[in-house]
Amino acid sequence: MTRRPFLFLFALAVAWLGAAAAVAEEPPSLKADVEAGKVPPMAKRLPQSPLTVDIQRSEWTIGRYGGELRTLLAKDRDIRMMVVYGYSRLVGYDEQFNLVPDILERVDNVDSRIFTFHLRPGHKWSDGHPFTTADFRYYWEDVANDPDLSPFGLPQILRVGDRGPRFEVLSETAVRFTWEEPNPQFLPALAGPSPLFIYRPAHYLRQFHSKHIGLDKAVAQAKAAGARSWAGFHQKKDEQFRFDNPDLPTLEPWINTTPLPSTRFVLVRNPYFHRVDKAGRQLPYIDRVVVNITDGKLIPAKAGTGDVELQARDLRFDNYTFLKENSKRNQFRVLLWEKGLGSQMALYPNLNVDDPAWRALMRDVRFRRALSLGINRHEINEVVYFGLAVESANTVLQRSPLFRPEFRAAWARFDVKAANALLDSLGLTQRDARGLRLLPDGRPMEIVVDTAGESTEETDVLELVRDSWRKLGIALFSRPSVREVFRKRVYSGKSMMTVWSGLNNGIPTPDMSPNELAPTAQEHLQWPMWGQYFENNRKGGEAPALPEAKELVDLYESWRRAANSAEREQIWLRMLEIHAQEVFTIGIVTKALQPIVVRNNLRNVPTEGLYSWDPGSYFGMYHPDTFWLEPRGPR
Amino acid sequence: MLRYVVNRVLLMIPTMIAISIIVFAIIQLPPGNYLDSYIAELQAQGESVDPQKIAFLKKEYGLDKPIPEQYLRWAAGMLVGDFGYSFEFNLPVSKVVGDRMFLTILVSSFTILFTWAVAFPIGIYSATHQYSWGDYGLSLLGFLGIAIPNFMLALVMLYFANVLFGTSIGGLMGPEFIDKPWTWAKFVSILEHSWIPVFIIGAGGTAGMIRKMRANLLDELQKQYVVTARAKGLPPGKVLRKYPLRMALNFFISDIGSLLPHIISGAEITAVVLSLPTTGPMLLAALKSQDMYLAGSFLMFLAFMIVVGVLISDLALVALDPRIRLTGGIAR
Repeated sequence: MTRRPFLFLFALAVAWLGAAAAVAEEPPSLKADVEAGKVPPMAKRLPQSPLTVDIQRSEWTIGRYGGELRTLLAKDRDIRMMVVYGYSRLVGYDEQFNLVPDILERVDNVDSRIFTFHLRPGHKWSDGHPFTTADFRYYWEDVANDPDLSPFGLPQILRVGDRGPRFEVLSETAVRFTWEEPNPQFLPALAGPSPLFIYRPAHYLRQFHSKHIGLDKAVAQAKAAGARSWAGFHQKKDEQFRFDNPDLPTLEPWINTTPLPSTRFVLVRNPYFHRVDKAGRQLPYIDRVVVNITDGKLIPAKAGTGDVELQARDLRFDNYTFLKENSKRNQFRVLLWEKGLGSQMALYPNLNVDDPAWRALMRDVRFRRALSLGINRHEINEVVYFGLAVESANTVLQRSPLFRPEFRAAWARFDVKAANALLDSLGLTQRDARGLRLLPDGRPMEIVVDTAGESTEETDVLELVRDSWRKLGIALFSRPSVREVFRKRVYSGKSMMTVWSGLNNGIPTPDMSPNELAPTAQEHLQWPMWGQYFENNRKGGEAPALPEAKELVDLYESWRRAANSAEREQIWLRMLEIHAQEVFTIGIVTKALQPIVVRNNLRNVPTEGLYSWDPGSYFGMYHPDTFWLEPRGPR
Repeated sequence: MLRYVVNRVLLMIPTMIAISIIVFAIIQLPPGNYLDSYIAELQAQGESVDPQKIAFLKKEYGLDKPIPEQYLRWAAGMLVGDFGYSFEFNLPVSKVVGDRMFLTILVSSFTILFTWAVAFPIGIYSATHQYSWGDYGLSLLGFLGIAIPNFMLALVMLYFANVLFGTSIGGLMGPEFIDKPWTWAKFVSILEHSWIPVFIIGAGGTAGMIRKMRANLLDELQKQYVVTARAKGLPPGKVLRKYPLRMALNFFISDIGSLLPHIISGAEITAVVLSLPTTGPMLLAALKSQDMYLAGSFLMFLAFMIVVGVLISDLALVALDPRIRLTGGIAR
């Protein structure tokens, strides 16, 4: 007797739950297609357990469907930024820089060595085809290990000590990667703005692959399309990051519908996107994203005329006053987000400069410290950045758990007396008639700083540095060029010193790679040849000559082998400390601000945020799929 | 005459070969190649590229081959209509240019027609009414037109259109038509949008042409045959149309040589400012990013247009002006 009402209640509850699920509102733009049977209803489009986006931010609200978001990019090829903003990754960073599963339902990580990925059952590509471990298998077997598609082997991230992982497909929704030694770079690489894609839409790409359709057909097909080889043709169709193939299925919130070249790209909502809001409604809220291509130098002007809903790229801090002035008339607000760079502007003494006298000086820590002490950072901050930046050495930002105030302050005060004392102790006491110190070989100390000629900001800052260095008896000249020439000059040792932004990743956690702190890449402007040496497996370039640089390489290597975060944190801190004391790069100011134009009716864009490439993916971390447009009413 | 034409056409072959070598050399002059500038651009944004992928692209694009071989491949391809591969767009050059070429020709043709339609009557008026208020006024306008760079005019108009009317005037068609197949509505939309770029690009050219027309006509108006015609009692309008005007047209025909490449290249900077989907911005971008086959093919095409244009204007001059004769040796 007692069981019946119970059963009845249970049935009622089930019916109610079912009804609740069915009630979740369908995006209006998809209603017609759902009714016509072109796409299944929302419940069938979502994975069985979609990712519920619940953002704890005071001004954050549940949104409304619909609308069109316009933004500007400088080149057709920049359409890849939509993959950066979309930020649909296997695992991604949340606003506290924790790595959390996104496309994946769960990651099991054993000692950063064995990674087991669990997909969301029922997850689908943007064309409705199931997204399964077959797509990982296609990447592993038919792309990464295909002699034609990857003639130079696996991507570096996947290699530890030159050995790749063991790859196993455990089921339709689980794959495992096993390395013999830890690979802490693996998950951060998957969460990056330009991530390592270890999955491919196999059902789509098979039609281009010689293994699946036969070599003759693949070659004939490529020839007909004007490509040089079938591998090139496959590669062209398979650019998940370039985002230039409208036919390529995607997992991003918006699908690009426009092929290159174009001046206007239209992106439409992905009906199979795997995220929902708290109310169980499928994201994204905004139906269409329209990207107009305009010359980069005109983007501030166009953003100021209200031609965009959201714009940050190609806006610079010196546009701020112009934008603010126009914001009222054209109904937008201008936010200032913090930039994620370790230093907005830093000087890089080239330790590999080909002039022996200068090289000896550059490699002497006293000289680098003297140069750093000889910069009046406060003046630069007041004059160029309206006092809004923070005077700092080139180190990590306060938001990072690795931040220490002493790293920021190290040799970053303005102290002409101490700087002169350091220079005197180097034996540079002779001076010429102009009061310039003389090098041991009798030449006056004239430092030429190469700039990439990107902005007047660089030259403004250098002008102020020149004034204060003059008090040390050192002359500074700036030599603007263009990026390619600039890099060539640095790599070949022709350039003495360069100016560029500081650490790219200013907000690292211990689990992110400290490769920027050690000579590991040629692109590091302070030690290009040592970096090249590491990059080419100790065959090209020059071996690091300073013990501190060698220690940094060793520390980096041990970071790669470290099995847990605590150990990695110790390594990071030691590396940062070496950097602070050795002043390998001379930071000037940090926490510079990025103006962001947001139309008044665009909601859920945080007022304060971090504008950072990695980690952060610029807007990506703040979930543009939850941005929404309030219908235009009376304002 | 036939012999002259044949000689001129044959001479075009070595000219084009020489131009192709110069073009290729100039594109190769900046240090590095496309991939270097590609990597530099990515790194400037903090992006990095997997060295494995760069190695793959280098091989795929043939950038690992010696430069003479790259040149020969490109030059041989052009003979059979294959203009090479655009690295930037990952497409054959012919596909990249596509629609843009047509739109460019359209805008440029309108511009030229606009220039003629405005410059002709004004030039004639200022010549026949020399030193009148009308002449001064129109000349002032003309000098302003020459003095203000096109792109500057475009920026000023962009600004005022926004401040006064709250609209943006960039583009060449309504946004709904971009990349859509050709329809009547699209064509109408292009016509509606094209008058602004036509006016802006045409302004400088119009002013220049007014000055030229005026100067040439003034020369002729002083001559004795005009005085004679007037003395014989011909009405002034008829005198003008029948004699000095025709004489003054020579400059106009010899201008065709430089006009043809203009049709293709358009006004690059103005097109960039107005975000016109023409070939100008694309050529500029290709040169900047060292997308060598795209840039090279563009430049070759422009050179070809100049060579053909000069030939046409030479032949037309011979045909139109009986004073020009091919005497004293062949060809040159």
